[in-house]
Amino acid sequence: MKNQDKNTSKDISRKEALHKIGDYGKYAALTALGTYILLNPKKAQAASPTNPNTDF
Amino acid sequence: MDSHLSSIVLKEIENKSVVWFQNSNQYLILENVVAEIVKKLYYENNIEEIAKTLKKNLAIPFEKAFDFIIDIDEQIVKPNKTIKKSILVQNSDFTIPSSFEFIKYYQIAQKVMKVSYSSEFELSLIHPKFAHLEVTKPKKINFSFQTFNNTDHTYLVLDNELIGSWSKKDIHYFQGKFSMKIIESVYEKLEEKWMGIFHASAINHQEDSMLILGDSGNGKSTSLALLQAHGFHCIADDFVPIDDAKNIHSFPAGISIKKNSFPILLDYYPELKSSAEYHYERLNKIVHYLPPKNIDYKKSFPCKTLIFIKYDDNIEFECKEISKLNAFENLIPDSWISSISNNVTVFLNWFSSLSCYQLTYSNNQLMIDSVRKLFKNDL
Repeated sequence: MKNQDKNTSKDISRKEALHKIGDYGKYAALTALGTYILLNPKKAQAASPTNPNTDF
Repeated sequence: MDSHLSSIVLKEIENKSVVWFQNSNQYLILENVVAEIVKKLYYENNIEEIAKTLKKNLAIPFEKAFDFIIDIDEQIVKPNKTIKKSILVQNSDFTIPSSFEFIKYYQIAQKVMKVSYSSEFELSLIHPKFAHLEVTKPKKINFSFQTFNNTDHTYLVLDNELIGSWSKKDIHYFQGKFSMKIIESVYEKLEEKWMGIFHASAINHQEDSMLILGDSGNGKSTSLALLQAHGFHCIADDFVPIDDAKNIHSFPAGISIKKNSFPILLDYYPELKSSAEYHYERLNKIVHYLPPKNIDYKKSFPCKTLIFIKYDDNIEFECKEISKLNAFENLIPDSWISSISNNVTVFLNWFSSLSCYQLTYSNNQLMIDSVRKLFKNDL
């Protein structure tokens, strides 16, 4: 299971957001039902990172 | 927060379900059947009964249905019931400096804000975007910020109350909170009255508005500046506030224009040439700020359309409607959405009513024409 927190990132890819419930082999109906996408909004209001003195 | 008191919000969008968990503030896009199972598990937790129904509906062995329900419970429901909201620990070990190197006054709507910066560092974080609003020392000050560094954190104080402190890696949250406090003060609405803040550009025409979205470098701000030069009004760039009545409000920060957009924009904005230039080495770009025109703080606008925009040299013009779920996947990770459950309900209802488009272009006129048509509902 890879249900880790992916807060913050706007670089999140669909692959990272995509999750699967269990492994049901030949039971295609369950396999089809078991795919879901997990999305985290930003934890607070943010601006675009564009500042000159934060080059670290 | 007591997890028993937390809630979930469900909304069907395009034959799938979006489920929001208050405890973790996460959004899941699920099959409708699974969303119903999640709801039952969350509030009733009768696994055997749910498994029996699933077995019947899918014609599968009971133990497979049962395992599936257990997996949903373990993977989706339990983690979202037990995750507590992180409590922000404020670094209270600080002293407000006795003097500040820079003091600036800015007029926004009818209000004047004073910002005291302890050094050039804090000035560089805030001032460039608001420089066009600067006024000389006014008679009345409506609200007053102080910002300074202490033990590697940047602090923000508003009217003598500590708002927060941020490390350098989180400095975009410092800027976001500063902007949030501005809209709270200017519109006299506390944070709970705001549904969300979008990383987008917002334009308005007559009584409607649209959001322009896209990854950094895709031309949001350039498109906004072009549209502004062709009769549309800029409502906000980069930081777009929407309230709990689903209305977009103006935010007067300068439109960030990269120097490589100058060939497109100088005909319309010759003043860009002599405007202040900011070098963002880490991002390898040079930026100027263009003051938004005709901001009317008394008006707010409903928004019915999202446009995901992309400037592409190889494509003259393409515009197609995209699925709302696709738009949702792109919108959420880049947005702050209020985590108050009533606001989430309002947000999901609003989102499900939107039309979403992908617009790729290199022909500016075709882009402008298509936005005009979208406003007329005539594309």
